[in-house]
Amino acid sequence: MSENVLELQNITMKFGGVTALNEVNLVVKKGEILALIGPNGAGKTTIFNVITGVYKPTSGDVVFQGASIVGKKRFQITKLGIARTFQNIRLFGESSALENVVTGADVHSKTGVVGSIFGTRQSRREEKAALEKALELLEFMGIKKRAGQLGKNLPYGDQRRLEIARALATDPKLLLLDEPAAGFNPAEKVALGETIKKIRDAGYTVLLIEHDMSLIMGISDRVAVLDFGTKIADGTTTEVQNDPRVIEAYLGAPADAS
Amino acid sequence: MADMKSRLNLRDRGAEYWERSPKWRRVALSIFFIALCYAIPFLNNPLINTPGSDFRSVLFYPVGMYVMMAIGLNIVVGKSGLLDLGYVAFFAIGAYTMAILGTKTSLNFWEILPIGVALAMLSGVLLGTPTLRLRGDYLAIVTLGFGEIVRIVAVNTDAIGGARGIAGIPTPPNFFKAKFTILDPKPYYWLLLTFTLLIIWMVRRMAARRPGRAWDAIRQDDDVAQLMGINTRRYKVWAFVLGAAVAGVGGVVYASQILSIVPDQFNLNVSILILACVVFGGIGNLWGVILGAVLLAFTPERIRFLSQPRILVFGMALVLMMNLRPDGILPKKKREHFDPDWHTVEESGEGEIK
Repeated sequence: MSENVLELQNITMKFGGVTALNEVNLVVKKGEILALIGPNGAGKTTIFNVITGVYKPTSGDVVFQGASIVGKKRFQITKLGIARTFQNIRLFGESSALENVVTGADVHSKTGVVGSIFGTRQSRREEKAALEKALELLEFMGIKKRAGQLGKNLPYGDQRRLEIARALATDPKLLLLDEPAAGFNPAEKVALGETIKKIRDAGYTVLLIEHDMSLIMGISDRVAVLDFGTKIADGTTTEVQNDPRVIEAYLGAPADAS
Repeated sequence: MADMKSRLNLRDRGAEYWERSPKWRRVALSIFFIALCYAIPFLNNPLINTPGSDFRSVLFYPVGMYVMMAIGLNIVVGKSGLLDLGYVAFFAIGAYTMAILGTKTSLNFWEILPIGVALAMLSGVLLGTPTLRLRGDYLAIVTLGFGEIVRIVAVNTDAIGGARGIAGIPTPPNFFKAKFTILDPKPYYWLLLTFTLLIIWMVRRMAARRPGRAWDAIRQDDDVAQLMGINTRRYKVWAFVLGAAVAGVGGVVYASQILSIVPDQFNLNVSILILACVVFGGIGNLWGVILGAVLLAFTPERIRFLSQPRILVFGMALVLMMNLRPDGILPKKKREHFDPDWHTVEESGEGEIK
């Protein structure tokens, strides 16, 4: 019933002799939270980089809303509706929190350089719209009081929230969150989980990389597991939890009893 | 100590005063300062007079010229973070357009001006499109090469005078009562000032809007800027082209005043000096860059009476300044408060988003 927002079809990504992703198939359905888990180095962030156009896959296809986006420029992919956050926070540190979000909201402005110089009606309308949207998103993420502060001066947790706000400002059909809860304490993780659910309920589709199992099990609709560049499991949280290959990937193979 | 420091921070205090001021006071202050700028040639203050060279000529070149070019280069280096070491090339293209068309055709200054600017912009596109995929040092080397290529081509092309350059460039036609002659640099200064004010107005609008944010993003993190949907190539080329346009205006005006140009006027030193103005004044901050250009252009003229050790003294002053204020005289303001009226402020043209 639910349509597929994103399909990874047999994605292989090789860096020289290293195969980071091997024939990965993955489907993200509209309106769900799909968690992508796996041990360190399993290729999770590589998948994000392939989706957002940072890497061009060695083979395979990325289909977003029915059309292939392989080979498209990064900014075009963002315009089409994929936004992301970064594992190691990458804000525009010298810009204020508000400017960071407005920069994201600019994606859908049509005013160019000339229009901005002359302050056309379109330019002023879009500037105002982008600003209002940015303020709304800061409020939504609970960091409105930080609006005027420089990105680099925000507390760690607010920097992570600001990254999400900036990504949301581009109106994504698919939001990619790369370890959004890294470095959070348990209470903050719970709050973040609620926020991510709120984002989904607002109509966004979320693909999430995370290590914290309680957070994942609490909010995910489905879970996909990667290990050494191969997808080893994909299903609901309970299915994945009981999958022997997943247990093996995380805990090692059981000792031979015989 | 901290209190002392904040009291000495003229930039922030000045900015605060400006932000607290009602609109009428801002307008009044702006008019006052603009009028003051126009009146400078009439001042005869021993403190700012330049013994050894004509004060009014100094106002046009180097002071006015450096200010304009520094504003242009600041778009490229300060806003977008693209290190351009061949900026003089666009200046040369503007000046040569004026010289060639002025001597070979019957077009006058006002007709040549848009052509010169267009050619400078075109060369900005031609240089920018292939080279802006380079970053940092590599871009600096390519642009440095471009600056030298333009000069060397001019030296070796006999059709445009070769190393002897072009003489007999016409002056602009009289503009109401202002007569443009070699004897009176004042009208040229006013002309240049008018263009500079126009450029400042444009730059401030851009900086506060979408292009300014895009350039800020590109300067800080090119990859993330792309992933936030910014067509970084296009905005970089735009920065290049706008910088080139400003230098083109400068070149056309310069050639019409100096009456004869030779290729060696457009050497690497000019690029370096303009870049020094930008860095010295406070990279990325429009007012800092203007102040830096004024000081860097004016000081060597003011101390001309020292004759031989003049440049040595100037160099020492530069080294000393950069040690005392490594971010420049007026570095970019670190805005740390949230102004809820931000957008209304922006509408009035103030409140540059930095």
